[in-house]
Amino acid sequence: MKKLAAFVCTAAVAGSSLAVIASADEPYTGYNYDWWGDPIPSQNGFVVEKTVSGENLGVGTLSEPSDMYIDKENNLFYIADSKNNRLVVTNESFDPEATYVIDTLTYGESFPESKSTIKKTTFSLPTGIYARTDNDGNTLIYVADSGNQRVVCFNMDLEIEMEYVRPSSDVYDAQVTFNPKKVTVDSAFNVYVVVPSITQGTVQFSADGTFNGYYGANRVNATAEVIAQQFWKLIYTREQIIKMRKNVAIEISNIDIDEEGFIYTVTESRTSDTDILKKLNPAGTNIFTNLGYDQYTFGDYAQRYYKGKNYTSAICDVDVDENGNIYLLDFATGRVFQYTDECDLLFIFGGKGTQKGTFTSVSAVEAHNGKVYVSDSRKNNITIFQQTEFGGIVQNAIELFNEGLYDEAKQPWEEVLRRDGNYWLAYIGLGNAYLNQGDYATALDYFYRNSRGGYNRAFKSFRIEFIRANFTWMLIIVLVIILGLIVLSAVRKRKRKNKQGGNN
Amino acid sequence: MRFDLDLPAWKWPFYVARHPFEGYDDLRWKKGYNMKVAWVIVALFFIISVAQAQLTGFLFNNTYVKVFNIIPYFSSSVILFVTWVVGNWSLCTLFDGEGTMKNIFCVSAYALVPYLITQVICIIASNFLLRTESGFIFFFQYLGIAWSVVLMISAMKTVHQYSIPKTLVAILFTIVAMVIILFLAVLLLTLFQNVFVFGYSIYTELMYRFSI
Repeated sequence: MKKLAAFVCTAAVAGSSLAVIASADEPYTGYNYDWWGDPIPSQNGFVVEKTVSGENLGVGTLSEPSDMYIDKENNLFYIADSKNNRLVVTNESFDPEATYVIDTLTYGESFPESKSTIKKTTFSLPTGIYARTDNDGNTLIYVADSGNQRVVCFNMDLEIEMEYVRPSSDVYDAQVTFNPKKVTVDSAFNVYVVVPSITQGTVQFSADGTFNGYYGANRVNATAEVIAQQFWKLIYTREQIIKMRKNVAIEISNIDIDEEGFIYTVTESRTSDTDILKKLNPAGTNIFTNLGYDQYTFGDYAQRYYKGKNYTSAICDVDVDENGNIYLLDFATGRVFQYTDECDLLFIFGGKGTQKGTFTSVSAVEAHNGKVYVSDSRKNNITIFQQTEFGGIVQNAIELFNEGLYDEAKQPWEEVLRRDGNYWLAYIGLGNAYLNQGDYATALDYFYRNSRGGYNRAFKSFRIEFIRANFTWMLIIVLVIILGLIVLSAVRKRKRKNKQGGNN
Repeated sequence: MRFDLDLPAWKWPFYVARHPFEGYDDLRWKKGYNMKVAWVIVALFFIISVAQAQLTGFLFNNTYVKVFNIIPYFSSSVILFVTWVVGNWSLCTLFDGEGTMKNIFCVSAYALVPYLITQVICIIASNFLLRTESGFIFFFQYLGIAWSVVLMISAMKTVHQYSIPKTLVAILFTIVAMVIILFLAVLLLTLFQNVFVFGYSIYTELMYRFSI
């Protein structure tokens, strides 16, 4: 008996110590949202690989790093070290040998005398960074130098090629300041600047520095107040309308561009759910609207209601990787949300806290080659997340699926379900695979309570096939029913006649 | 009015549904009220409202299936109906209505028949139709509701021998009366719950005292 007790004790201790190891693995629990919008536990798609601080890079402590950019062609990693008024340039392996600091720029010869005599200029609170290589292989670096109220564009020799400053055009409101926060550049070298004080969209410059206008404005969140104002505007006089409180859209908070040249904007708002994530075509219209994705909830579904307002996730940064996956960074919860290019939620990772893999004040997210980089402006470091095996399988399945190889995607999707039976995107993937094979009944099973659109498509084909297979039987049944009704009515008529005849 | 009508009790609901304007006059004349039939219709009302949540096809079904609670379906069918009858009776007896509680119960139940039939059609059709064909389902749903509303007005008019404007006013105030009844019921329930909790805590307190 004693032996047994001792055995049980050791087993319990061993079990509990195992459990401790397992739970100490990640400081956050992976979860996902099912079709009903309920959070369900899920396997982690990303785990912490390491964190990198300024000391690791050999450049001293970072101070409020607020933006990052990965130059994939030159294997360079830029960090906007805002409070230190400098840029830190390193590579993707964060090698201290390859790390250097940019804090002083020189004016090129193309600038007028007044500027080229000063020759040197420094950054003041650089909050946004972007780099683009032209066809000749010259890389231009764009920095949103918010303290100096300019976007500065310079080459690898640290010579300024262009300065984008506050437009003097009549279109730009004279009372609005120009304090660039984020910047991105398209393939024609048009510059898109996010300015927090502007609600009409991003400020667009052409390559030569002329102000082109605003690009990609948000819509106004349709609250009850806005609708009421629309009504009063019908009645009020012009003077009264002018005195009304103006309802303006919430300003864009961050911007990114994918490899096809579509621009993504996010809006950081805890109270609004309009236009949180947009994918803009060159005309500035949101192409998610036609697809219905603009109705989706981005970030966490759960809302808190406080003093008449709903508080939700605050998406402060967006990044699109080379596979088209969209990464959203939530300032409110410190989480990263990974979506497919069709806005289907893949993985959620990160969180608030002080452990590795959690954050206190996130500022930027970048993703490249199965790794996700998140900077924290209070911890002053960068956390690198590595895709797990599970995440890799999901990624592989989605890539095959997007290429139209539905049958090839079947095997990885089945593997996903073996590891996590709650992963609902796998059911949709398998449903599509069976639908593509023409096995509509199985496709219906997979789509049931997972995807209404998929179910609709599968059911359409299923119904046609069913009718084709059973048309003869259905026709016979209908004919028998009609015949039966005719006979019944004839019999009734005769009965009635007989009755009347009997009465007479 | 047809005086030669001689229908079995179960046929009356269908007869009034097919004759929305004179059917209730015939019913009143022939005293076709039957509580058993009425209760069957109310029971079907409950069953069909549950079936609508459970058997509607996936493409048209928005019911949260993870948790199924039958109480809301019961209260939104049977209790609602009984409240309607009680509210209508208590209002209309004060305003020269001729209907007894039994009569009101029967004619109101009979008026539900078109709604129930179209609901069954919708539940069946929702398993065969695509999202793009949802117009058929909505058409039948609205048709059933509109038909039942017309029947209900006709029923109230006949059973109380009111004019049409008076009927409409009576229906409006019946709804107000229903709200008041439900409010009082909820209030009563909460109070009784409080009394029960009070009594129970005294009981536990005493048990603690005497057990030591």
